[in-house]
Amino acid sequence: MFKKMVVLVLLLVVGAMVFAGGNSEDTVVEEKDTSQKIVIWTNLTADAQAVVLRKQFTEVAQEMDVDFEMVTISFGDMYTKLATAVESGTVPDIMHTNFSGTAYLYSQDMLSPMDDVIADLGKDDFIASYLHVLNAEGKTWGLPDWALHTSVWYRKDLFEKYDIDIPTDWDEFMAAAEKLTIDNDGDGKTDIYGFPVALNATHVAAQTFYEFLYSAGVTTVDPETGEYTFGSQKETAEEVLDYMMELYHNVSPKSSIEWAWSEYRNALVEGTVAMTLDMGAVILMSQSNNPEMLENLGCFDLPGPDGHKAASFGSGYAFVASNSGDSDQIKLKKEFLTRLYTKERAAERALSRPMFAFPSLYSAVATYRDDPKVALFGEQIDTITDAFENNNWYWYGMENGLSQLSSQIESTTFFGETLQSVALGMESTEDAIEYIDQQLQEQVALIQ
Amino acid sequence: MERARLMGHKRDYHTQRQLLGIIFIIPTVLFLLVFVIYPVIYNVILSFTDARLMKPDFSFIAFDNYKKLFSNMRFLKYVKNTLIWTFFSVIGQLLLGLSIALLINKKKSGTGLRSFLLIPYVVPAVALALVTKWVTNGDYGIVSWWLNSLGLLEYRQSPLAVPGSAMAVLIIVNIWRSYPFPMLIYWATLKGIDKELYDAANVDGAGTFQTFWNITLPHLKNTTIVLAILRIVWTATYFDLIWLITGGGPAGTTTHLPIMIYQASFGTFQTGYASSISVVLGLFLFICVVFYVKKTIANDR
Repeated sequence: MFKKMVVLVLLLVVGAMVFAGGNSEDTVVEEKDTSQKIVIWTNLTADAQAVVLRKQFTEVAQEMDVDFEMVTISFGDMYTKLATAVESGTVPDIMHTNFSGTAYLYSQDMLSPMDDVIADLGKDDFIASYLHVLNAEGKTWGLPDWALHTSVWYRKDLFEKYDIDIPTDWDEFMAAAEKLTIDNDGDGKTDIYGFPVALNATHVAAQTFYEFLYSAGVTTVDPETGEYTFGSQKETAEEVLDYMMELYHNVSPKSSIEWAWSEYRNALVEGTVAMTLDMGAVILMSQSNNPEMLENLGCFDLPGPDGHKAASFGSGYAFVASNSGDSDQIKLKKEFLTRLYTKERAAERALSRPMFAFPSLYSAVATYRDDPKVALFGEQIDTITDAFENNNWYWYGMENGLSQLSSQIESTTFFGETLQSVALGMESTEDAIEYIDQQLQEQVALIQ
Repeated sequence: MERARLMGHKRDYHTQRQLLGIIFIIPTVLFLLVFVIYPVIYNVILSFTDARLMKPDFSFIAFDNYKKLFSNMRFLKYVKNTLIWTFFSVIGQLLLGLSIALLINKKKSGTGLRSFLLIPYVVPAVALALVTKWVTNGDYGIVSWWLNSLGLLEYRQSPLAVPGSAMAVLIIVNIWRSYPFPMLIYWATLKGIDKELYDAANVDGAGTFQTFWNITLPHLKNTTIVLAILRIVWTATYFDLIWLITGGGPAGTTTHLPIMIYQASFGTFQTGYASSISVVLGLFLFICVVFYVKKTIANDR
């Protein structure tokens, strides 16, 4: 009896160890057997986007006679998933991610350059500024899919009613926002606020701040040389922050320091604010929550402090291919991606988030414009595409092309915490900018 | 001769029993080694290195991470937040858990009521966070509207955007979510108290409060110690709820040490630095627990 028990326990222990240790080996063998399977990760930003991607991946996989596995990853989990994937060596074959995600994978030396694919598709058909942002060391590390641009979305009906022209500098912008902070029924309570200063610590605060910084010409690094420049522009940065705080105290709901994307979009769509910074996603929200508001919505670029706008804040998505596998496997991934870049498919992907996403191919922009989903917004499309083609636009930390700095700005909350502290009177503007500079310098040192 | 043979058998029997015992504990020991001891030791080692998620190799940097942590001007603020969050959450959970346990113990409560009272414990943190954000929204949240009607909150303000009240909301939500565990344990303990003690107290003319103070409470002492230790550890390291509801805001007034660890790990990818913060948090919890247990034992004596 005793011997049987001993043997049983030993077998269990050894068995458990064999299974635990043998697992990775099995996976490797299985992967070899299914080398024609392409694993694709995508950051899920909207259900409609995932539906279109799945449809297109299915079509392309059928054309090429390969299998694919699509994994959707919520935006909030992106860096956690990527970091662990990099650490464990399980980076997907293809990833559809934003520019910061691309920068992160590039910094990990996980990507294949895409210049050959871009050349095959016709480099001139890509909007040049989209390619610039994915550039590093003279190579392009992703295929730009679509981009988004921060504008001021506003109520055209209120501008008309109160006889307000589109602001051309910050004084005019403040005046318009003050005029649009309205107490309709005279009960002493504000019914419509002019402009919400959204400062949710996760993502949004930094995005709001950078739109104002870029408008005033402040950048994290020099767009030409890549040298750290924020430290030498602290005085302007303080002026920018002072202006934002003036907006917050005069024309913004107090709760906006906790507002994220959905809150400020909803406020515009429901009519409780008259203007907001946004990347056009208010349109989709209006279509689903308050279609009557659609025809009242328009957009203009946030002006520069004295009228001249140095740059805008924008971002976008790209397809990247990992450099894992032999040349045949890399070729397979690139062929898969090439097939996704017909003008119809590129437009269809951007149209999965109408007015939020704008296609990266000139030929696809024409198809995009003709679609009934955006037919109402010809004027706004002109404003935004003009900004893409003729102005500078950057993503935080990537003013000089791909940089890991952007992912560190995006995945931390020091901007949000500091800006909220100033809004709540817990910290001075000067101290806040000093702290941000200190944190940015630390991040720059970390990536060198 | 026979005696020697019997002694030999006895020795064999003891050796076999000891061997069997060792074999039976091997899986547990292996589990602890792989999933507890190794990660803890590795974490301590990492805290003395410049390990980062972005590079595979790292080097020994002695106490640099700890120096950086203690010179971080926001560290003390986060420690204070951790203390407030943990203290009030645990006190609230134990008091509410005990009160409801006394209630369901006294009344003829059925399984249905007890199951109903357990619901908060199985509500997913994500769902709870979404509902909390919804009811506290400055524009359309019912709780914000009530608070505004009572004059406790500015018009169209959210309690989550006000320092102090954001932490209060988090603590209330956490108490609501976590009270079923102490309730269940207290209720099980109450069931085990000899009914004759209460009968005797009744005969002696003891009132409700005297009975509770002199009979019930002493019987709950050990349970309270265990519960307090468990809840302190679980609450101080509880991350999801705060991260999902406030993200540590506004202005870092709800940022506690686990959020700081997360930011260091997956924000700036500084694994070594994050490890040093978790070592400090671990030590802090260890000291709290030892102090609490010692104090309680001393009081007993």
